Amino acid sequence: MITVIVIALALCAVVLFYTAVRSRRKQAAELFRPVDLNAFRTLMDRDDELFMKEKLPRSKFTRLKRQRIRVTVRYVARIASNASAVLHIGETARLSSTPEVASTAAQVMELAAQIRLQCLVAMGKLLLEYAMPSLQLTPAMLVPKYQSLRENVRRLGDLQTQTPIPLASAI
Amino acid sequence: MSLRAVIYDVWILGIGLQTVLALVLLGKRAWQRYPVFSAYVFLNLFGAALSYAVFQNKIVYFYAFWICEAVGIILGLGVVREIFTNVFSPHPALRRLAKIIFRVAVVGLVVPAVGAIYAQSGNAKSIPYAVLLAAQAARIVEVGLIMFLFLCSSAFGLHWRQNVFGMALGLGMIGAVELVTVTLMGHVNSATAETLNLVHGISFSTSLLIWLGYLLAPERLVAVEVPKRAQLEQWNQAVTELISR
Repeated sequence: MITVIVIALALCAVVLFYTAVRSRRKQAAELFRPVDLNAFRTLMDRDDELFMKEKLPRSKFTRLKRQRIRVTVRYVARIASNASAVLHIGETARLSSTPEVASTAAQVMELAAQIRLQCLVAMGKLLLEYAMPSLQLTPAMLVPKYQSLRENVRRLGDLQTQTPIPLASAI
Repeated sequence: MSLRAVIYDVWILGIGLQTVLALVLLGKRAWQRYPVFSAYVFLNLFGAALSYAVFQNKIVYFYAFWICEAVGIILGLGVVREIFTNVFSPHPALRRLAKIIFRVAVVGLVVPAVGAIYAQSGNAKSIPYAVLLAAQAARIVEVGLIMFLFLCSSAFGLHWRQNVFGMALGLGMIGAVELVTVTLMGHVNSATAETLNLVHGISFSTSLLIWLGYLLAPERLVAVEVPKRAQLEQWNQAVTELISR
């Protein structure tokens, strides 16, 4: 029995390493994907949800809430993916010889890491709410953090005059 | 060509590759950035050279091999720690949480490793078998921690430096193969054990090639693709329509 478990663990490890190599190749061409924060804010609006809960029949509310959650999950995934891409570009900027660029890059990375963590929490909450639509968990404070990230990325872009792409407007 | 001769050739190939890797580490001054990994590589090279030198004397070979193996396992765990530090050090926001999860993972892996020793300890009638059990337990912890590192960094969306990724991949590969070989070694006949030795030798050489490849290849530049403005507007429109339906 122990032998089977141990060999299964080793096989899982090999599969995981193979997946890691493949995803690393994909990451080589990172893609920033835009996020409409107004639409996202509307999706996360609890008053809106309460209004629907009061006005709609239970089955319709459940269906609509799950639909909203599916869209919200896609938004959160985009935010997480953009935060990860910002972490990546921040690493290069953090090593800049200009102290202001380096410190702004460090701030951007700190913020991006926090957003990434919040996205994990938000995903967990959304999955719970999808399983039990009557649940109304505290929404993650992603919007203000993400807005702040945008501003910091913009500032970093301004400091790095050689940066040809307006990243902040793209995320 | 007999299987024993092939194993011998693979062993010699391994020593050659280890020598090249040690020279690359020295030449690129990588030992300054990765001291534990460098110590691990140099110890393996020393162990292989020592084993080659005392190969004819079975008792001396046994002790030399297993002492180097034990120190190698400890250093292997140290390499995992070094990789962890390298991956998380630029992210103070994640480092504290990752440290806690890492400690929990260590405890979570030590428990099944000790369980594996306990479950099979009844069969451990000889010193070599007891040593194999200890090696199996250590490999469970090592492979488990590397798996944890890959999963954790993927969940946090972290990017690995090329060298560090290569170190983890090579160590993970050899760890996984060693885990299988030490687990099966106590249950198979001598012919199958020889085949397992060959598989182990090939996988060790493969890991050495992985380390060499990732150390010598230049760091990839970050290629960031920004979507076009029109795409952004299309997306926003689509979502607005969806939520106002």
